Amino acid sequence: MPNLTINGRNMSVEAAGDTPLLWVIREQLQMTGTKFGCGAGLCGACTIHLNGEAVRSCQTSVSEAVGKKITTIEGLSAKGDHPLQKAWITEQVPQCGYCQSGQIMQAAALLSRNSNPTRDEVVAHMDGNLCRCMTYSRIQKAIMRAASEMRTASNAGTERRST
Amino acid sequence: MNSHVKIASGAADLSRRSFLVGSAATGLVLGYAAVPGLDRALAAPSNFEPSTWYSIAPDGIVTVTCGKADMGQHIASTMAQMVAEELGANWKDMRVQLASNDPKFNDPVLGAQITGGSWSTMMNFDAMSRAGAAGRIALTEAAASVMGVPAAELVVRDSVISHPKSKKSMSFADIVKSGKATKTFTPDELKAIKLKTPDQYTLIGVSVPQLDIPSKTNGTAKYGIDVMLPGMVYGRVVTPPVRFGATVKSVDDSAAKKVPGFIKTVVLDDKTGSTSGWVVAVASTYAGAKKAADALKIAYDNGPNAKLSSESLLSEAKRLQALDDSGQFFVKDGDTAAAFGTAAKVMEAEYTTNINIHAPLEPMNAVAEFKGDILHIYSGNQFATRTGQIAAAVAGIDPKYVVMHQMWLGGGFGRRLDADMMIPAVQAAKAVGKPVKIIYSRENDMTMDYSRPLTYQKVKAGLDADGKLIALNHDVVSAWPTARWGIPDFLTPSVDKKGPLDSFTVNGADFFYTVPNHQVRAIKNEMAHNATPSGQLRSVAPGWTFWAVESMIDELAHASGKDPALFRIELLDGKGKNDGGAQRLRNTLLAAMGLAGYGTGKLPEGEGMGVACVSSQERASASWTACVAHVAVAPSGEVKVKKLTVATDVGMQVHPDNIRAQVEGAALWGLSLAMYEKATLKDGGIEQTNFDTYTPLRMSQMPEVAVNVIANGDKPTGVGEPAVTVIAPALGNAIFNACGARLRALPITADAVRAAMKA
Ligand code: FES
Ligand code: FES
Repeated sequence: MPNLTINGRNMSVEAAGDTPLLWVIREQLQMTGTKFGCGAGLCGACTIHLNGEAVRSCQTSVSEAVGKKITTIEGLSAKGDHPLQKAWITEQVPQCGYCQSGQIMQAAALLSRNSNPTRDEVVAHMDGNLCRCMTYSRIQKAIMRAASEMRTASNAGTERRST
Repeated sequence: MNSHVKIASGAADLSRRSFLVGSAATGLVLGYAAVPGLDRALAAPSNFEPSTWYSIAPDGIVTVTCGKADMGQHIASTMAQMVAEELGANWKDMRVQLASNDPKFNDPVLGAQITGGSWSTMMNFDAMSRAGAAGRIALTEAAASVMGVPAAELVVRDSVISHPKSKKSMSFADIVKSGKATKTFTPDELKAIKLKTPDQYTLIGVSVPQLDIPSKTNGTAKYGIDVMLPGMVYGRVVTPPVRFGATVKSVDDSAAKKVPGFIKTVVLDDKTGSTSGWVVAVASTYAGAKKAADALKIAYDNGPNAKLSSESLLSEAKRLQALDDSGQFFVKDGDTAAAFGTAAKVMEAEYTTNINIHAPLEPMNAVAEFKGDILHIYSGNQFATRTGQIAAAVAGIDPKYVVMHQMWLGGGFGRRLDADMMIPAVQAAKAVGKPVKIIYSRENDMTMDYSRPLTYQKVKAGLDADGKLIALNHDVVSAWPTARWGIPDFLTPSVDKKGPLDSFTVNGADFFYTVPNHQVRAIKNEMAHNATPSGQLRSVAPGWTFWAVESMIDELAHASGKDPALFRIELLDGKGKNDGGAQRLRNTLLAAMGLAGYGTGKLPEGEGMGVACVSSQERASASWTACVAHVAVAPSGEVKVKKLTVATDVGMQVHPDNIRAQVEGAALWGLSLAMYEKATLKDGGIEQTNFDTYTPLRMSQMPEVAVNVIANGDKPTGVGEPAVTVIAPALGNAIFNACGARLRALPITADAVRAAMKA
């Protein structure tokens, strides 16, 4: 029985090693924030983090995830207050909302290594995530808002440290 | 197909029902009486709960129950907004929940639970407002008696009722806890309540935060696909190679039986005609069900449609159009034949659209569970009334034993008006004696979509010597999406009395231009109807009728040497039956022109602006939308959309920010359909199976979209659909102005533009 580390917790799952991680997370662990959209790596609805990198959980097998740090939308922040989640609410991004866990997880991976992305960098990074409701412009705005908030926060942090 | 399905109406006629405010264990509950004039609910509070429209808990939290399908249009939140406005509640205290299919949540106007056609806001405004006002009155009277002051001296604001003279006040929570707020409104009393006038609004017209949005940023919103029931197992659907008409000859599941967790193979027996030749592999996990499904060896008889292709559907459409006695008339004004005889110029053109797939991001799914006599269905569905009846039919039970549990919809766009996903869920649950969750693969979802049909339209128009449009014949050939439902009330009598027609194939062709001689013929393409059962795709007919009308109007303007926008404005003279609508559409067009800077400067070589204006989606419930598209066309035929300027007259804005979101989403849908989405039929099957070959617009393809909302204070209109229909013709017209290429087929491709440039 494979052992997985999800959102900081150790969980043993009952699944063959070739089972897509998506179904184990959703149906077995019943963490349903991660969505199924295409099962083929084409839509991004199933995006999670594996050791901090955004991956498509429909294209990742359980055995590939063993020993790695898995983060899902439920574990992105303790109270749903990651700067991206807050920006998503401020910009009122979601329509049906189905793609949005994946969008947020995809965007979070970008901001964790580049807190000052250009518009083109955002588009290039996000282009694999479909939104059938076409909320793209709000997604862009929210990413920019979160990025600037993260920069402000980290500047404040640096200032505090330096004083 | 589905001809046994009838909508029971009447149960929903709220005008004959009392409105009750009563105390229950959970706090204050408010709703319409289940049976006209019968107030037994008050006597027995435990019976009251099911008919609740909203409730106020002892902590002051107001929970509104939404009988509509919320697929991202935030209708649940909007309903709460209407209630809160009249109730006088603080927005922070408002919550929403989704209703089950009890008839008491039926739409006050349509008499059934159906969400589509941008109808929701329009049709619920009065009922929700009155429900809110009734609550305020009951709370105020209770507060007056507790405080010992006249009710008329009380002020209600932000969930607090205060008496300015004595400075006394009570919160809603206090009043609920007092248990004093009980009241029955007779239908007449309810009707007599004076609602606020727009100048008194404090919430309507304000972009309050949507109540569902936080749950859609942290993974907690529950969609149909997220439902988990104890003991639930999983079904994976295997669909045949053809879209419709196949039968299963044999199934060999010997290999599937070796898959761990495999439970059973179920061959569907579907007498509703919703599916054909479907098999379900049931297993204890979804991954197991997929493995088992992949291991099935199924032999099919592919049936009568196995040789058909998009080409055959199109040539059949052309054949039908050429026949004089095809179809029925939707519009027959004046005498077009005579007018063509006198016309100085007669033009003809053919316009086509390909098959389009809804592809909401949440694939179709349903959970079915038999519990005693009751069949419970958990799914996000836009048409609970009919869907419940279909579920009952395939279960072999009376519809009154079906309870539909509404979930959030991961996109609808009209796809979830249909009920096909209920059939595998119900029959598999019945076969294995356990709750079964069915999740379509994306491949199931695409190849078995109730698609927007392939359409063929022929338009013939006559201009007089002054270049004035005097006659127009418009033939529309397509599968009939709404006729497929077999619900007579949804069909429209033909003006030539040749029996009902499906107006959801021709809406929009009855435009607001004044054309003295005008005919619109609806022709059913039976071949397409059978081979590609079609559905309602966001905005339905206006998605193709305005492609033809608004392209042809442009062609006529150019032929008569007039500016296409000014040519339209002349036709929107508001004469006769067009009075009112035409002027609103004209104003909207002028607004879009002004905002886009139409005709104010010279554009660089290879660039052009094009206009279109539409009265989607039905004449009787139109909203007024215009677009100026600005494109740049490369010599290769590659089209770059530089900007879409959309203006829309929506009457009243309940939630301005939501309207902008809906209109922008709709405009991008329109662009996606116009340029990026194309499905094709081959050997009876849909060729595109996933997002690699069926390719909705992505972020990198998004142009600048400027949305301008005109609110003139009229009744609120639908906003989620009209902008879908205005984009394609605006683009086509812009491309013509940029490079002289006239496009008449959707989607527009670089190859087609290049070919048309040469022509
Ligand atoms: S479900 Fe994994 S990318 Fe679409
Ligand atoms: S919000 Fe519906 S798919 Fe993105």
